[in-house]
Amino acid sequence: MTRHLQIWLASARYSVVRTMMFRFDFFLWAMVELCWMSVNVLLISVIYEHTGSIAGWTKYEMLLLVGTSLLVQRFLMGFFWSSLFEMGRNIRSGYFDFFLAQPGNILFMASTRKLDPDGLMNSFVAMGVVAYAAHKLGLHPSAFDLALYALMIFSGLVIHYSMLLISISLAFWMTSAQGVEGIYFTLSEFSRLPREAFRGIASLVFVWLLPVVVVSNAPAHTLLHGFQPRWAFALLGAALLWFGAAVLVFHRGLRRYASASS
Amino acid sequence: MNKYRHAFLIGLQSNLVYRWNFAVRGFFSMFHLAVVFILWGAAYTGASDIGGFSFGQTLTYFLVMLVLQFFVGAFNEDYQISEEIRNGLINQFLLKPINYFLYRFSIFLAARMVTGALVLIPLVCAMPLLHSYLSLPHDLWRLPLGLVAMAGSALIQFSIAYCFGMLTFWFLEIQGFVILSMAIESVLGGQMFPLDLLPGWIYRIAQFLPFYYQTYFPAAIFTGRIHEIGQVGQGLAVQLFWVVVLLGVNQLLWRRGLRRHTAVGG
Repeated sequence: MTRHLQIWLASARYSVVRTMMFRFDFFLWAMVELCWMSVNVLLISVIYEHTGSIAGWTKYEMLLLVGTSLLVQRFLMGFFWSSLFEMGRNIRSGYFDFFLAQPGNILFMASTRKLDPDGLMNSFVAMGVVAYAAHKLGLHPSAFDLALYALMIFSGLVIHYSMLLISISLAFWMTSAQGVEGIYFTLSEFSRLPREAFRGIASLVFVWLLPVVVVSNAPAHTLLHGFQPRWAFALLGAALLWFGAAVLVFHRGLRRYASASS
Repeated sequence: MNKYRHAFLIGLQSNLVYRWNFAVRGFFSMFHLAVVFILWGAAYTGASDIGGFSFGQTLTYFLVMLVLQFFVGAFNEDYQISEEIRNGLINQFLLKPINYFLYRFSIFLAARMVTGALVLIPLVCAMPLLHSYLSLPHDLWRLPLGLVAMAGSALIQFSIAYCFGMLTFWFLEIQGFVILSMAIESVLGGQMFPLDLLPGWIYRIAQFLPFYYQTYFPAAIFTGRIHEIGQVGQGLAVQLFWVVVLLGVNQLLWRRGLRRHTAVGG
């Protein structure tokens, strides 16, 4: 455990040094993420110019939900995106051999090789969106609620990581399938919607089968209405289940990996 | 023109090879439509009309927008051009009597024919669920004028992608610029929400920007968000202006870029 932490710290240090070498890239990518976050916030603002509520959620409640969803996604982008995106390319090209030869857990080494400081920088902006919405709503969450919120964000990160890992692992079976990570982005769109907006089959698929809606709704509900065991246990259970499934799919895929050359 | 016809036919064949990739992309775009359906459906529970349009009209707008993107949108043309510059593949075009812009545009047209046809498959499958919501105006003038606007949109979309591809002469990596531009285009091109929902003064500024003519303009003609034929005429004039400007910028970047280009090897 300590050794893996040391490896992760070394990778993080390397990523920060590399970012300092390419400062323009850092600035550009930070702008890219900031712009996309602004697009989502703008969408909410525009809709609420014409309507009073979305599925019973007021403007600032919805902003809190969107901010929460963006926060989870920024953490994923900051901690794992570059490494997992490269994993897909490496599986296709055969460069994944490099990770097989390293002295550590393969999934850990492949998932944490690179850190994106620009994504992590924007997580502060997402936190700002959540804090602003909470202020406008006059919320005063207790320390316990904040700790629970943080735990739920972590569980959401685990679920997003697992969904992205499963998408990328498809490359073990379909080496020509470029852009499979797009599946993750398509599904993550649902996480910015309130649970109450889903009805019928959409509720079954996106709330219960794929926990994309629970990931953002559970922490947002905790800030808005305090601790609710139903949401907390649903999220923790889904995180464990999805992480287990992702590790299983990854290792099943790894068995099929046949490198690309000598 | 014969050589560009051949480029078009080769483009058609090579894009048909990737038909499954495009079909999967078309299938997943239906999920985006599901997000639109759920979000706007929930928004309409709090208001009987939004911006003067019913839920059916708004859903129709997003559906038309989606189809237009598959028919006229630039998918990865910027990256393809960038790759050709970076890998030196454009060298072969410098030695032959072929216009690189027209060559790439021929391939772009072929690609859009394939993607446009393929998006219709999931759309036809989803039609039993959607048809009761769809609401299109019946004015006959909308079809020919909308098709003209579509042709202008295709030129604008491709020209912007071509400009980004040309940036490779100056920058090693263009992905950041492309994704930044996508965020701006998604808002000012009307992909996130119909532009007429913006405050009036912002909407009027947007009408003078090229992004408005990328997809929103033809979509607004087809779906009745532009009410009068006179407004369409004005829009077509501004669209033509942007087509000319962007074609000029393309040529400028190509000439300036080639001055920096170094070809090594045989």
